Amino acid sequence: MKTLDKTELSKFLEGLRADFRVITPLQEGEDLLFGEFDSSKLAVNFTGRPIIPPKEYLFPQQERLFTFTAEEGDRVEVKAYLNEEKQVIWGIRPCDLCGIKTLDSIFLSNYVDTYYQARRENTILMGLNCNQACETGFCNSLQTGPFAKDSFDLIFTDLANRYLVEVGSKAGEAMIARRANLFTEASDEDKGEANRLEEKSKQGFKPLFDMKGVDNKLAQAWDDRLWAEESDSCILCGGCNFVCPTCHCFNIEDIKAGRESERVRCWDSCQLGGFTQMAAENTRQTQGERLRQRIYHKFSYTPAKYDGAIGCSGCGRCIEVCPSNIDITHILERVIKR
Amino acid sequence: MKKVLTTCEFCGCGCNFYLGVEDNKVVAVYPCASHPVNQGRLCIKGWQGHDYIHSPERLTTPLIKQGDTFREASWEEAYRLIADRLRGIKEKYGSDSIAVFSSAKCTNEENYLLQKFARAVIGTNNVDHCARLCHASTIVGLMATFGSGAMTNSINEIGNAEVIFVIGSNTTEQHPLIASQIIKAVKGGSKLIVADPRKIQLARFASIHLSHKVGTDVALINGMLNVIISEGLLDKDFIENRTEDFDKLKEEVAKFTPQKSSQITGVPAEQIVEAARVFAKSRKSTIIYAMGITQHTTGVDNVMSCANLAMVTGNIGRESTGVDPLRGQNNVQGACDMGALPNVFPGYQAVTNDELRQNFERGWGVKLPSQPGLTTIEAVDKGLEGELKALYIMGENIMLSDPDVNHVEQALNSLDFLVVQDIFLTETARLADVVLPGVSFAEKDGTFTSTERRVQRVRRAIDPIGMSKPDCKVITELSSYLGYEMDYASPGEIMDEIARLTPIYGGISYSRLEDKGLQWPCPSPDHPGTSYLHKGQFSRAGGRGKFYAIPYRPPAELPDSNYPFALTTGRVGFHWHTGTMTRKDWVLDREYPRGYVEVNAQDATKLGIRNGMMVKVASRRGEISLQAKVVDTIQAGLLFIPFHFAEAAANKLTGANLDPVAKIPEYKVCAVKLERD
Repeated sequence: MKTLDKTELSKFLEGLRADFRVITPLQEGEDLLFGEFDSSKLAVNFTGRPIIPPKEYLFPQQERLFTFTAEEGDRVEVKAYLNEEKQVIWGIRPCDLCGIKTLDSIFLSNYVDTYYQARRENTILMGLNCNQACETGFCNSLQTGPFAKDSFDLIFTDLANRYLVEVGSKAGEAMIARRANLFTEASDEDKGEANRLEEKSKQGFKPLFDMKGVDNKLAQAWDDRLWAEESDSCILCGGCNFVCPTCHCFNIEDIKAGRESERVRCWDSCQLGGFTQMAAENTRQTQGERLRQRIYHKFSYTPAKYDGAIGCSGCGRCIEVCPSNIDITHILERVIKR
Repeated sequence: MKKVLTTCEFCGCGCNFYLGVEDNKVVAVYPCASHPVNQGRLCIKGWQGHDYIHSPERLTTPLIKQGDTFREASWEEAYRLIADRLRGIKEKYGSDSIAVFSSAKCTNEENYLLQKFARAVIGTNNVDHCARLCHASTIVGLMATFGSGAMTNSINEIGNAEVIFVIGSNTTEQHPLIASQIIKAVKGGSKLIVADPRKIQLARFASIHLSHKVGTDVALINGMLNVIISEGLLDKDFIENRTEDFDKLKEEVAKFTPQKSSQITGVPAEQIVEAARVFAKSRKSTIIYAMGITQHTTGVDNVMSCANLAMVTGNIGRESTGVDPLRGQNNVQGACDMGALPNVFPGYQAVTNDELRQNFERGWGVKLPSQPGLTTIEAVDKGLEGELKALYIMGENIMLSDPDVNHVEQALNSLDFLVVQDIFLTETARLADVVLPGVSFAEKDGTFTSTERRVQRVRRAIDPIGMSKPDCKVITELSSYLGYEMDYASPGEIMDEIARLTPIYGGISYSRLEDKGLQWPCPSPDHPGTSYLHKGQFSRAGGRGKFYAIPYRPPAELPDSNYPFALTTGRVGFHWHTGTMTRKDWVLDREYPRGYVEVNAQDATKLGIRNGMMVKVASRRGEISLQAKVVDTIQAGLLFIPFHFAEAAANKLTGANLDPVAKIPEYKVCAVKLERD
């Protein structure tokens, strides 16, 4: 365990740029977005998280998979685009680390997604614990935050004038070794301070709700009228899926331009009527069924299918971006209280 | 990845987002969390609707008609041809034989330049745009009653209203981020009254849903006014101190007892009474309307009725009150503000007013015409009659958006010369003699003015595709071929000229727009902008609001034994207007790939029509085949068709019956017949 003087953070990140693309939270005007490190915009003292999670650096909003060109005769020239650029993402909140852990389970277990794998294997994750509760987050209830326990190469905790830096992997250790002179050994006092901050941060969240047995409760709630009621105001924007750190459904389209075509994949949304239409039709005909799918996928199917993986990281973004104020915590509470 | 903050190109909500750009390609969208309207939220079009920017179908070079096809041409050749032809037609037939259609999709700067081109370069006031088809009645109606034709209040005030009366607006589909405010208000305990012949999504959480017959809005509102006046729920102080002609209104609405109103509208009398009471008893009642009010032969009457309702109850001139016409296009407010209208210069300054006109003559250094020009619908008619010889269209697809498109096609084919400036070879562009490739919003700098009068920056994220050029550049270059120099180093300089000549934009400059934009009126550089209008006094000369007595007139074409159904047209949330952009997007196209007609379940049973079956809908003007969607959310006897789909064009059916003053066509009612295909 080390500490890094806060004033040295930029130097540390700058130093990585020789070998890595470095992604950090940036202050764009009044907005917080992940982007390529720029010391003049680097955001360090922020509450909450950028509106789009860092998953897009592993699974972009739009990704060219390959191009195919009709050549003479029957020949088709195919060119794949695997992105193996080495990258470091700094400033990832614990909820988003959890999201990446879940994506790893999905994209790298049974059926390996080579595009995700290429990016993931070349990515170093540096987290930043949350000293303050954000407005819509509920990581505390899901035990995915506000302080990260795993799924990082390095994790930073803000101790006012310095960071406590914990190592989570060999790759993380190697990052420190690159600029060992910037780091000092952490004291017991530093660790104690971090523990105090964690406890204090937890106090700031809304009261915990008990997630134990939620899968059983869900199994009984299949025919409940809550799905129709809660989804009644949905205006089909897809935002809840697009901002979710664990949502991973995509669609594939071919764009033809003359002889050359490209195959692109884009984020899709299970809340839309045309979702899964490539398989003839969407079996979930009503909005209530689609909302139920979103909740079951996160709290029932993903844990069952991927050995207890967490399908929802509790980041609260879907609450924040919903034009109709549909609130996943409210839905969970209704399920739990049944 | 570069991230560029800009304003959405679809509707009038004016949401902001960042476009993520890689290799000159838009590959990502990030909603702007700090924006006062969208607050980090977007609709599906904002999130995913930008595929069209990189569509292989984009126009990349100028095209010149050769026989039945087009050949590629250089900009110089295209400019020379256009300049020669326009000059020739102007010399032979006069300036007024040429008309220009501007575009509510384009920026303020482009609209300003195009109306300047019409007036100063061609020498005609024949300039108009699609506002004629959506809110011409709003401008006329609210100018007459309040003195300003714009949305009176701001979007984020709606969430705090106690009562929201939505009439003729399918807000969740057409203005999703305004619907968001309504939903927020309802979830917070506010009351919602929805008046719509269809059970639209908002009607599901309305306290009262008034399902009135299409085209009976005046009778409905007069009925509510009757109750408010007879039960003494009116705001006497407001009426006395801030308005005029109340007695005339009182006399007219006395005829509209709830029973009488009920007979005409089909709404139960007790619902009319209840709606009137709920609306009048709150001090924070807001009226929201859109095309369901304006697109009628009684469009102006409908708008004035809304104004009457707000004034009688004193619900205007304060926060979370007012009359909010929701403007459809991203910049239809701005295109109107910029004077892309045949009767006014920028800032609604009448062309007939000598003093105002002389001000523009000094500014532009030429003598300007003083007679109001032709509206879009009139210009098309004159084309067919042979009086109009040339038409220059920027970014409009009138072959799908105008009523009675068979008639439009004949008119365009009758012209001597047609120029279309667009990003795609639209149904309209195919009929042109010269097609010029414009650029999308992602390829240009400028400003859009949203429905809440918020002037906001549009920022260039990528370079123009192919040889295409921003419309601003096209207009200034063409202008110089016609011997009139328009010299601007940047769109910011155009805004400076707009500010000099347009009092309501007087204090607007790019440096002040960097943050969250400014809401006009903003008369001076130190003015903070205006969140709601008519505080203390109305904008009308004399400062008082004016009541108008509005008798009820039925729609121009009602169902009869040959055409037994009423047809009303509209949009769906996944598509934009004539679909030139949204139908090229994978997700939007997937959700709504084809046209359809909503049929009431009882009517369907009678006619043996099942859900998904192909049917034929015919009017006196044309017929189309499309899929039936059998629903119980539409009144019996009424059909609904969205107008996005060229292969099932709703506007082959609609008629060009116009409001006598605003000249807006009655898209919302015509008579049709329905049969199995």
